[in-house]
Amino acid sequence: MPARAATRVSAPIPARAGIGLRAPHYRDVTETPPDVGWLEVHSENYFGDGGAPLHYLERARVHYPVSLHGVGLSLGSADPLNREHLRKLQQLIARIEPGLVSDHLSWSSIDGRYLNDLLPLPYTEEALDHIVARIVETQEFLGRRILVENPSSYLRYRHSTIPEWEFLTAAAERADCDILLDVNNVYVSACNHGFDPRVYLRAIPADRVQEIHLAGHTVKHHEDGDILIDTHNTRVCDVVWELYRETVARLGLRPTLIEWDSDLPALAVLVEEAAMADRILERVHDADAA
Amino acid sequence: MTPMLRELQREFADGIWNDVPAVHAHICDGTFPAARHLQIYRHNTFANLTDALIADYPVVHRLVAEGFFAYAADSYIRRHPPRSGNLHDFGGNFAGFLAAFPAAQTLPYLPDVARLEWAWQEAYHAAEAQPLSLDALAAVAPEHYGSLVFRLHPSARLLASDYPVLRIWQVNQPDFEGDPAVDLAEGAARLLVVRHGLDVEIEPLSVGEYAWLAALAAGRPLAAATEAALAAAADFDVAQAMQRHVRSVTLTGFDVMNDITP
Repeated sequence: MPARAATRVSAPIPARAGIGLRAPHYRDVTETPPDVGWLEVHSENYFGDGGAPLHYLERARVHYPVSLHGVGLSLGSADPLNREHLRKLQQLIARIEPGLVSDHLSWSSIDGRYLNDLLPLPYTEEALDHIVARIVETQEFLGRRILVENPSSYLRYRHSTIPEWEFLTAAAERADCDILLDVNNVYVSACNHGFDPRVYLRAIPADRVQEIHLAGHTVKHHEDGDILIDTHNTRVCDVVWELYRETVARLGLRPTLIEWDSDLPALAVLVEEAAMADRILERVHDADAA
Repeated sequence: MTPMLRELQREFADGIWNDVPAVHAHICDGTFPAARHLQIYRHNTFANLTDALIADYPVVHRLVAEGFFAYAADSYIRRHPPRSGNLHDFGGNFAGFLAAFPAAQTLPYLPDVARLEWAWQEAYHAAEAQPLSLDALAAVAPEHYGSLVFRLHPSARLLASDYPVLRIWQVNQPDFEGDPAVDLAEGAARLLVVRHGLDVEIEPLSVGEYAWLAALAAGRPLAAATEAALAAAADFDVAQAMQRHVRSVTLTGFDVMNDITP
């Protein structure tokens, strides 16, 4: 019998830009809360029993709606779902009352060993049936909808038969979950695998997309070709900003996260990137109103 | 031949952990040959896990050469792959691993430095606790003192080492100023790691205090713990120790044997 999570009303995530809350910014964010619409955290960083992380997250939660973004559910794994992980996530949901809860369209563990990375699924009917069942099971356990995010990828499988955008859409519709559309990940994968990112982005149903991620990536040059790596350690690039503008013009305004997880800059830089996303959202809003 | 999902994931993981090439047959040649696309994931996995170890063990990382740390991390990752999707669980066996790691035998204090850093990590994430109620303690009849069983703060960790690991830890903090020399002959350390509010503290303990807190942490009643402390150090002062560790919220509550009181 799946237990229900939060019974109080969670603060909804507004359709404007938010930033990630990371430990080096705990004091800055809680002492002088910047003008951003909401915050997102990696759920697993708050699976501890107490101490500074939960203290600062709860303080930040007073000022902002919060989204819980997971990297460890391993939704696509052929292993049974990790109940301990789900229980910890459920406890955190009850404590923080997040507006959104998300994880990835990927796997990260098999036979109980975790690679702690977002590994690509083969896009087959078997994998689709599997991840749909797992998303349904997760939503039943948590008693709420989740969002599933498209990962960046650096390889494709020979036996994949379904384009990723169709796989993601079918998974969301069959499991009745929402989509966290990462525009940078679409661009990274498009460059790495040679498809048109606009074909991907236009194929995603607007009503399923409840959040957008933006991040910076790194181009690794090799003698025989370049590969883009989703490093989350720099500003969003111009092409991704343009794809983002087109995407929100088509989908409508959506909560948009600036992800920056390593080589963390001053908080002000994150706030600048968020302001850039907010300006794009405002222009799209004004154009729609005109 | 199309692999089933489980088989593919097993072969993929075997390709990452053990360099088994079977999975290459299922990966497209793209910008690079298939094996190099998998190599990107192998690199990411090992780099992420190494970074997690560096975050948990910054002093060990500073104490050894970069190449040595990378070698130790690589061996640790293969021998103790993560068992949960929470990276904070991953580093818990590193001290034990280092103690048995042949290449680390020339640095005999390294495992104890790692134990101290893991204790710090555990304390940082441990639950909160309320201070012990002095009124409740005052209400205990003196003849029951000996049978009091104390609870330690959930963050409290005790650590004994033959080496001056607190001094080693202190001089390797990023904000340390002063003479960084450590005299290993300075000798043994007995330490309490405990969080006060949000701040993790590392406190040196006397021989008697260490024995006393270790016995209390093991659930032994006050009389037995005090006996153990006096056996370790004849000058142990139980009243002073009690006052210090109640005031600092290392002791957070007590039960009278078979009788639960706050």
